[in-house]
Amino acid sequence: MAGVIDSYLASLQRDLDFDPALARRLTEEVESHLRDAAEADPAWPSDDAERRAVERFGLAREIAAQFAADAVAQQSRRTWLTVIAAVVMTFVAMRLRVMWLSDIEITAASLAPFVDRYAFAAAIAVATVGWFAFRSSLLPLAVCLVGLAASIAAGFVRADLFTGGAPLHVLLPAAAEVALVGLLAWRVVDLGRRVRRTENLKGIGT
Amino acid sequence: MLKGHLDAIVLAALEGAPAHGYAIIETIKTRSAATFDLPEGTVYPALHRLEQAGLLESDWVTPPGGRRRRVYSLTKAGVGALAERRKSWGRFSQAVEAMLQGRRAWPA
Repeated sequence: MAGVIDSYLASLQRDLDFDPALARRLTEEVESHLRDAAEADPAWPSDDAERRAVERFGLAREIAAQFAADAVAQQSRRTWLTVIAAVVMTFVAMRLRVMWLSDIEITAASLAPFVDRYAFAAAIAVATVGWFAFRSSLLPLAVCLVGLAASIAAGFVRADLFTGGAPLHVLLPAAAEVALVGLLAWRVVDLGRRVRRTENLKGIGT
Repeated sequence: MLKGHLDAIVLAALEGAPAHGYAIIETIKTRSAATFDLPEGTVYPALHRLEQAGLLESDWVTPPGGRRRRVYSLTKAGVGALAERRKSWGRFSQAVEAMLQGRRAWPA
């Protein structure tokens, strides 16, 4: 039968499943802490000594929730940095497309130029407001992501990039902006997953 | 309230010498005369956070015949951060003291 400390470590490892490397490191660290604490108990060796050590340590899910909340804050900072990089790259690629477009006949007499410009402007506006007022919310990040993706797609239609034939100085920045927006999408999804996990860990404790 | 100052308390506990998590908790209990009776596990998220911020560094150490433990020590940035937190705590505690004692503002 597993001891009290072993059971506790198993549940801590389960609750830290959002970061396997952290789970491995912390489990080993906590094990040495709990064994030190149990050995310092007058009733050692006994299950009571282990139980008291575990009780003083605190609930595994509450400790995991603190780690999860820190991870959310860190991932949120990374996501906002990616927003800045994606906005800058989209702007540069957009300007290069416009310069190139002025040399050719614009075939897409559609909504594309409007979407290209205003979806980008909307993305910047939402990101700015989100940064100052709702930095911990996922919504401005998601809206900004949609705005940038719409602007890029419209820019591609506008410059006829889907059918090929564009010069390298237009294609390379376009590839970079797609890569950055892809990275942003991944970060937003990952942040959402971490936020849900944190809420779940905190919710169990209440 | 204690949670808001936990990072500074952990930095202060490591000021004298490098230590592992259990020893840090013991130092906090001893130096606060058991006033800070927080769950021992709460020190680990703080240690991790401070290490991520570059204020602490850590390494696994196995003493002869002993148990393998992760030992934390202050970095240069950590020493600076502790000095800064001491200063701001001094200002804050003086202000609270002045308010609670009904005194006029302390010297700026």
